[in-house]
Amino acid sequence: MNRYLLSAGAFFVLGTSAAFAHITLETQEAAVGSTYKAVLRVPHGCDGKATTAVRVQIPEGVISVKPMPKPDWTLQVKKGRYEKSYQLHGQEVSNGVKEVDWSGGSLPDEFYDEFVFRGTLAVDLPAGQTLYFPVVQECDGVAERWIEIPAAGQDEDALEYPAPGLKLSPKK
Amino acid sequence: MRWNIRRPASSFRRRNDFWRRALFERARRRLCDIDMSLASFRWTTCRFGKRAGWLAIGLLAAIMLLAVITAPNQAFAHAALVTADPADGTVLAQSPAQFSLTFSEPVSPLVLTLVRPDGTAVPLTSFRLNGQTVEIDNPQTLGSGTHVLSWRVISADGHPVGGSVLFSIGAPNAEPAVSEAVDRGLRSAIWIGKVFLYVGLFLGVGGAFAIAWLAKGGRSGQRFVIAAILCGLVAAPLSLGLQGLDALGAPLVRLAQPGVWQAGLGTSFGWTVLVALVALGLGLLSLVGPRGSARLFALAGLAGVGAALAASGHASAAEPQWLTRPMVFLHGAGIAFWAGALTPLGLAMRRKPVEATPFLRRFSQAILLVVAVLAATGIVLAVIQVQAPAALLGTAYGQLLLIKLGLLFFLFTLAATNRWKLTAPAEAGETEVQRRLVRSIGVEMLIILAIFGVAAGWRFTSPPRALAIAAAQPASIHIHTPKAMADLSITPGHVGPVTASIVIMTGDFGPLDAKQVTVVLSKPDAGIEPIKRAATKRGDGTWRVDDLVVPVPGRWTARLDILVSDFEIVKIEAPIDIRR
Repeated sequence: MNRYLLSAGAFFVLGTSAAFAHITLETQEAAVGSTYKAVLRVPHGCDGKATTAVRVQIPEGVISVKPMPKPDWTLQVKKGRYEKSYQLHGQEVSNGVKEVDWSGGSLPDEFYDEFVFRGTLAVDLPAGQTLYFPVVQECDGVAERWIEIPAAGQDEDALEYPAPGLKLSPKK
Repeated sequence: MRWNIRRPASSFRRRNDFWRRALFERARRRLCDIDMSLASFRWTTCRFGKRAGWLAIGLLAAIMLLAVITAPNQAFAHAALVTADPADGTVLAQSPAQFSLTFSEPVSPLVLTLVRPDGTAVPLTSFRLNGQTVEIDNPQTLGSGTHVLSWRVISADGHPVGGSVLFSIGAPNAEPAVSEAVDRGLRSAIWIGKVFLYVGLFLGVGGAFAIAWLAKGGRSGQRFVIAAILCGLVAAPLSLGLQGLDALGAPLVRLAQPGVWQAGLGTSFGWTVLVALVALGLGLLSLVGPRGSARLFALAGLAGVGAALAASGHASAAEPQWLTRPMVFLHGAGIAFWAGALTPLGLAMRRKPVEATPFLRRFSQAILLVVAVLAATGIVLAVIQVQAPAALLGTAYGQLLLIKLGLLFFLFTLAATNRWKLTAPAEAGETEVQRRLVRSIGVEMLIILAIFGVAAGWRFTSPPRALAIAAAQPASIHIHTPKAMADLSITPGHVGPVTASIVIMTGDFGPLDAKQVTVVLSKPDAGIEPIKRAATKRGDGTWRVDDLVVPVPGRWTARLDILVSDFEIVKIEAPIDIRR
């Protein structure tokens, strides 16, 4: 019995602290077809080192992405073709931002910051599923990759470095 | 890099995982450009050839000797089980369609049995050899509970090896009572048979040689020598049957069954027995046959003794073959010369001291060279077999060698006294010294018999060389997922400092140019935190981790974190067994 309590306690403590340590999205649910403001919360550096770059991969179906510049950080985007074309305000869109990089800054381990971008969730995204935004956090010479996506049926808590996820709700 | 591997139809792939592996293996070799040509291996069944005429028998012996020394240059060693599928201790959800056992070298299965949870045994008769792997068909759907896959195979040195793999369907039950029981009666019989075979070969054929070449007309000891040869003629075929019993793991009572004898003949020991029978026949012929050709027969017989010993056994199976087989041949012939001459010499000295003097002179002239050859070959073989001095005390094989060396020390002391103190006065005709010499020769005989006993005991041990080969075998697993597949080898596959070597590919046999590969070893049941090491990429396309230490043996979970691109990671894992 004691062992159960102990392991349950350990799970609770470790589980929650681990969840706090992850890079996550502030808003974790949004309707397909809506405009979504993504706020990436970066709670700490890599193993105590200051964060010098945050790079996020835009998943397929998130279109018309515009990142928000940050003072003291260099903002870059990588553009490319989408896997298919999407309808946006009556127009066909087939390419756009695939990756957003904030680099050249310095976010010490003991401080917190947010990195923001905005995009449209395409109407044909599957509601009820979760969309993942893989993030690479770079520090001086090392990187932490928040890019793990749970396999079907796998518990997200079991992942060491889960990618920030956004639950898609039906179109309003 | 271009890939020429055709992708098989997916439905077929799923059905035939083995074929995938074979393909993967082929592709992997291209990737690594490692030449992993396996030593080809063929099991030759010995059969009596055309009945050769007695006149041609000397020639036959010479040909056999040549064949034995030159022919088998495959990589031979003592076989050890490297991996099993299902692995030992696995719990499977469903009954497997086939089993596979991979050994450290090609083997030939003798008995394969599946023991069901209720204790009933099912013989497994349908199997295929694929390099070092034995693939066994499972004839029936297995019910839930723990099963034992019991195997007995023979390796090229002619010594059967056996073991069991336990696995469960659904959930394990109480372990079935199955063990590799040692049949003491059979072991004693094999040992006695070997000692008598040695008596026949060394004292019999060696004695015939001494009578023909050294005594020159003197016939003392002839009856003893004939008796020894007859003893060998009985022991040789009997040993074959006993070998067959041991090969099949059968009890003594089945000795009369023909299958047992066939199994014995099928092992490399079959050659030893055949050549030994020829040698014994030649020895006998030199004593009772026409006087004119007695010396020729005796010489051929002596060569046959060496050839018989070189045909099987630990020492002959060791690498390098071009060295060990001739060494065993010389060692055997040398023993026959020395040990064989002692009884006729002793008896001649006691009965007709005057006639025995030239015999003694010839023997003492030749013996220095013979002992030098014996010592040199013995040392070479011991170094090859034992490898490290620590193994002398640490292994049963080494301990027997120490006992033999102790006996040899006494023997050499006696022999040296005889040679340098007693021989000259004895030749001069001093009766008292002659009597001492006879007594001393008698003691030498007893020591030699004891050495035969010790040498026959080696039959039941594994030389440190073979143990080292088995210990150095890597623990290997193949992980296959739709996203990626990998071959992971941990070398050596036992606890301590190891090197992990990884070859990765995409799930459909394509090249996988990963940015980073991390090996994670974990063993939650032992309270050990995951051991995580980043691998470095080698020029040959493999990934390696050098600074890895596996602290405890048992079943570990090996996970490979493969960073495919900046934003994509693939994690694959499988259990891997680490030996003690």
